[in-house]
Amino acid sequence: MTKYSALLFISGLVFLLMVITGLLPIFSDSHTPMLVGKAILEGAKDQVGAANVVTSVVLGYRGLDTLGELSILFAAASVVGLVLTKSSFNKAASANNDKHDHHDSGFVAVNAIDLIFPLLLVVGMYIITHGHLTPGGGFQGGVVLAVAFSMLVIVRPRRASINHGMVSIIESFAGVSFILIGVIALFKGQSFLQPLLSHGEFGSLWSAGTLPLLYLAVGLKVGAELAGLLLALNSDEVVD
Amino acid sequence: MNSLVLLMVLPLFAAFIIPVVAKFSSKLALFTGPVVLCINLLLIMSAWVKVGSGAHAIFLGGFLPPVGIVFYIDHFSLLFSGLIASMVLIVWPWDAKESRLYSLYMLLSAASFGLALSADLFNLYVFYELLAVATYGIIAKQKNSSATAASLRYLFISSAGSVMLLLGIAIIYTLTGTLNIAHLATMTENLHGFAGLSAFALIAIGAGVKAEMFPVNSWVAEVYGTIPRQLSALLAGLISKLAVVLIIKMLLMVFQVQAAFDLLLVVGMLGVISGEMVAWRAKDMIRMLSFSSIAHLGVLFIALSIGGSKGLWLAIAIMLHHLLVKGGLFLMADRFSGHFDKLKGLAHHSPMSAAVFLVFILSLLGVPPLPGFWIKMALVMNLAELGGGLYYLAIGVILLATIIETAYMFNLVQTMYLKADADSTPLNKRYSASYTFAKLFALLLLVSMVFVSPISKRLKDIANHSANPQIYIHTVLPARYLGEKS
Repeated sequence: MTKYSALLFISGLVFLLMVITGLLPIFSDSHTPMLVGKAILEGAKDQVGAANVVTSVVLGYRGLDTLGELSILFAAASVVGLVLTKSSFNKAASANNDKHDHHDSGFVAVNAIDLIFPLLLVVGMYIITHGHLTPGGGFQGGVVLAVAFSMLVIVRPRRASINHGMVSIIESFAGVSFILIGVIALFKGQSFLQPLLSHGEFGSLWSAGTLPLLYLAVGLKVGAELAGLLLALNSDEVVD
Repeated sequence: MNSLVLLMVLPLFAAFIIPVVAKFSSKLALFTGPVVLCINLLLIMSAWVKVGSGAHAIFLGGFLPPVGIVFYIDHFSLLFSGLIASMVLIVWPWDAKESRLYSLYMLLSAASFGLALSADLFNLYVFYELLAVATYGIIAKQKNSSATAASLRYLFISSAGSVMLLLGIAIIYTLTGTLNIAHLATMTENLHGFAGLSAFALIAIGAGVKAEMFPVNSWVAEVYGTIPRQLSALLAGLISKLAVVLIIKMLLMVFQVQAAFDLLLVVGMLGVISGEMVAWRAKDMIRMLSFSSIAHLGVLFIALSIGGSKGLWLAIAIMLHHLLVKGGLFLMADRFSGHFDKLKGLAHHSPMSAAVFLVFILSLLGVPPLPGFWIKMALVMNLAELGGGLYYLAIGVILLATIIETAYMFNLVQTMYLKADADSTPLNKRYSASYTFAKLFALLLLVSMVFVSPISKRLKDIANHSANPQIYIHTVLPARYLGEKS
C-alpha cells in the first residue's frame, strides 16, 4: 500500500513539474530574461579583470556564496569528525587487530604512487593558480590535491604519512585568510570581499587583483578538508 | 554601516579558527564563541540606534545590485539578529568537550545572521543549507541510536525540502533573470502567473520543513525527543522562525497575492488542527510541547496570510511570544520531563517551578492580561475584519484549538498539583542554568504584560516599515533600475 501511494505521489509531482516546465519561457521563441547574466557578461572584464568569467562570478560578484559553500564543506567535515569518533571499546579492539594488519598495498602500487604524487601536486597547484585564466580553479584544484594525499593514505593505510594536526591547521589557515582578505577591504573603507589590488594585464598570471589569492585559499581549504575527511574515516581515533 | 557584515563574518571566522585554538587551550576555544556573540550584540545595538527608522543596504564586494549580493539592514532584521545572538548565548554548550561542536554552533549562528540579513535569494539558500548541515551535526552528536535515527530522518526530509527550495528559486530565476529580492519586487507581474505561484509554493514548503509547516513536519517530535532540551529550545524557538523569515521576505516583497495567502492559510489551519490533536493525546512532556509548537507555527502562518504590514506585525508578535513561551517551556523541561505520571506532586517539591510553568501555559492559552491574550485577540479581530469564508473558518480553528489546548494543559497542571506518591521524584534537583533562563523568560513575559501597548506600537512601526516594498526597493536598487519601471 505504501509503495502504491509513494508511486502515486511521485507521479503527481512529476506531472506538476512537467506542467510548470511547460509554462517556463525556455521552450518558447522568446528567450529567457538574462538581466543579471547580461550585466555580468558586459561588465566583468572592466570590473573584475579575470579572463575566466566564471571566476569573476564565483569570487567577485558572488564571493559571499563561495564563502558560504566553503563553510558548508567545513561543517560537513566537522560533523563527520564529530560523529565518527570511535568509542574506547572499539579502539581497544582495533589495537589488537593492528598487530596482524600491517601491510602496505604492495610494491607496484606504493612506488607508482610515490612517482605520481609530486606530479599530482603540480597539476593541482597549476589548476588553482590559473583559476582566473582558464577553466578550473580552487574547488577543482583542491580536489586534485586531496586525491594526491588520499592515495598516499590508501597505499599505506597503517603508516601515518600525513599529520592530521597539520591538515586541520592548513584548513583553518585557508578559511581564515579568505575571510581576512575580505575584511582588509572593509578596513580600507570598502565593502566586504571587494576585490583589491590592480587588475594587472588582462589574461596574464598576475591579474584580477586578489582573486588568485582567494582561489589559493579555496584550493587549500578544499584540499585539506577532503584529505581530512579521508583521514577521519581511516584513523582509529579522530584527533581533535 | 558596511561593517555590519561582521555580524555574519565574525562567527564564521571563529568557526574556522576554533579547531586550531583548541590545540593550544580548550578553555580559550570554549570562550571564543560567547565572546564573538557578545561583540555581535554590541554591534547590533549600535546599529539599531544608527539605522533609526530608516533602512540601509550593504553591497557586498562593492558590486551594485542587482548583480552583486545585498544585505538589507532595518529594525526587523536587526531584531532577529539580536534574538539569534542572545538565544545561542543561552544554549551555548558549556559542558561539551569537543571543539568541533563549538565550531558547529558558530557556523549555525553565522548562517542564522546571514538568513536574517541577506536580501538575495540564492544567498539565502546557501545560508539555509549551512544552517541545515550544522543542525544535522549538532543533533547527530548525541551518540545514541535514537538520536542517530532522528538525525537521519531529519536529514532526508530536510534535503527534500532544500531541493524544493532550490527548484523554486530556479523557477523564479528562469522567469525573471534576477535573484535580488528588491529587483524581483519591481517585476511582480512576471511572477504572479501559475509558474511563479508554484515557485512560491515550492519555496514555502521547502523552507517549511524547518518551520514545522504542516505536511513536512514529521521529524519534529522525534528530533525534539532525542536532543538536549536547550537544543530543542533553540530549534523550536529560533531556527523555525528563521525559516519563516525567509518565507516572509518572499511573501511581502514579491507575492502579495490572494493565492499565496490562501496557501499559507490552509497549511496553517491544518497545522493547528493536526498539532493540537496529537498534543492532546500525548503522554509525555516533550512530545506534547513538540506538537503544540507545530500548532503555534500554524497560527503564525494564519497570521501571515492576513498580508501586508498588519500580517507582519501579528507575525512578529506571535514569533516573539512563541520564542519566549516555547523556549521557556523547553528550558524548563530540562528539569522535569518524561511521562506525565512522573510529574505528580511537582508543585509540592518545587512551588516555584510549577508557578513559572503556569505563567507560560496561561500566556500560551491566551488568558488575560498576559501578552498571549492580546496577540490572540488582535489576530482574531484582524481575521474577522477581512471576512470571507476561509478567514472565518480560521477563526473557528483558532478558537477550537484553544479549547483543546486548555483541556490538555490543565490536565497536566492538575497532575502537578496532585499529591505525590511516596517514592516518586519528579524533579531533577541538580542546578541547571536553563532553569534560571526559563525564570528570566517568564519574568520578561510578565513585564511585557505591563508594557503591552508601547511594545505593540513599536512592533507596528517596525512592521509598517519592513512590509513596504517601496522602501525596500528604493534602499536597495540604484536609481537607473527604478527609472525603468516608471
